[in-house]
Amino acid sequence: MENDIILVIVVVTALAFDYTNGFHDTANSVATSISTRALAPRTAVTLAAILNFVGAFISIKVAATIASGIVDAQIVTTTVIFAGLIGAIFWNLLTWYFGLPSSSSHALIGGVVGAAFAAAGADAVKSAGLLEKVIVPALVAPVIAFLAAGAAILITYRMVGRLRPGPVNRGYRIGQIASLSLLSLSHGTNDAQKTMGIIALALVTHGDLNPGDPPPTWVIVSAASAIALGTYSGGWRIIRTMGSKIIKMDPAQGFSAQTGGAAVLLTAAHLGFPLSTTHSITGAVLGAGAAKRLSAVRWGLAGNIFLAWILTLPCAAAVGALTYGVSHLFGDGALGPLLVSVALVAALVVLFGKRISQNLALTAADS
Amino acid sequence: MIASVDTDALLELVWAAPLAVLTVTVAWGLVIRGTTSALEAGRDGRTVPAALHALVAVIGAALFLAAVAFGLLIMISKD
Repeated sequence: MENDIILVIVVVTALAFDYTNGFHDTANSVATSISTRALAPRTAVTLAAILNFVGAFISIKVAATIASGIVDAQIVTTTVIFAGLIGAIFWNLLTWYFGLPSSSSHALIGGVVGAAFAAAGADAVKSAGLLEKVIVPALVAPVIAFLAAGAAILITYRMVGRLRPGPVNRGYRIGQIASLSLLSLSHGTNDAQKTMGIIALALVTHGDLNPGDPPPTWVIVSAASAIALGTYSGGWRIIRTMGSKIIKMDPAQGFSAQTGGAAVLLTAAHLGFPLSTTHSITGAVLGAGAAKRLSAVRWGLAGNIFLAWILTLPCAAAVGALTYGVSHLFGDGALGPLLVSVALVAALVVLFGKRISQNLALTAADS
Repeated sequence: MIASVDTDALLELVWAAPLAVLTVTVAWGLVIRGTTSALEAGRDGRTVPAALHALVAVIGAALFLAAVAFGLLIMISKD
């Protein structure tokens, strides 16, 4: 009975993470298209949500473990997974609140690393895996995307700079719809798999699934639905940051940034060197802006974004470790995760309830 | 610790990713330049230049679609 409760808690928490992953990362696919008016905001997020959903079904070669190669697989229990998920959700919500794009994958890895550290000490964390799968990609992705998108916009201006702006802008807006679609599909394929992997691991631990077996259909459908719903909700704060606050972009810049980011991501995936979507697209947006005019980029905001990237792993790890520690106070059973879940849901209700009531009051005062 | 990083894949990424970006950029640039110039030449009654510009646009479109198809293939064949 107790194991059943833990399984339910982990599955619900994993789907909650998947939802935050969706709305946090919507900006990667849609921000530039909305900013250049290639698509209306609601149309863009609807298209992205549908393609996220479809993308989740394209490849279901789910990793058997999360943070594989980064933490010792032997110590990954359902409580460690739960605590890691809480760390990642916390970081996703915090960065969303401040409108800062950051990697959900790195947040999840950070959460699990912190929980594993709290559970079994420093030996549970493989620093070589952390370097290979988190630190090096985090350095490489924005730099390559920055340089590639910068070169792309210079070539673009050279090719079409003397043509009438009307048809050129229309052409690049159409191109952006293609790159938005490709990015959204890719996002659904990559990120829904993480949640499927987490739920599959919980099912294996619970004895409902054999290791190496494909996840059941309900896992695939629920992971696809959660990420699509999250995307449809739209993380508007981050969309505003990426779409118009970092640089004011024209359709050619939007195309260069979006297509540049997508091409870097897919090339990296082809070479077996997975990069963060957020890091690639943000780097590409900065590159497309800086290549036109260095002063066009709001470097102060870019600095805040870099700071958020540096803090992702330690902050998510700290919350993951704290969550594990608090859960562990109540023993190894379901009581700890259950109490932590109830406390967090209550805190979120209070926070968002206050905000909604403030908004209602403001609306009433305006009318 | 550095040995854990796949330096071959990393080095390949350093030249392959920008190459992919530039290929897609040039391909779509050809589509826009070809289409716009073909329409202008057509309006002026210059049929041969219009046809040549249209051909450039078609080549660009084929290249762009091939890049998109390759991207889809990468997603489908993902390990």
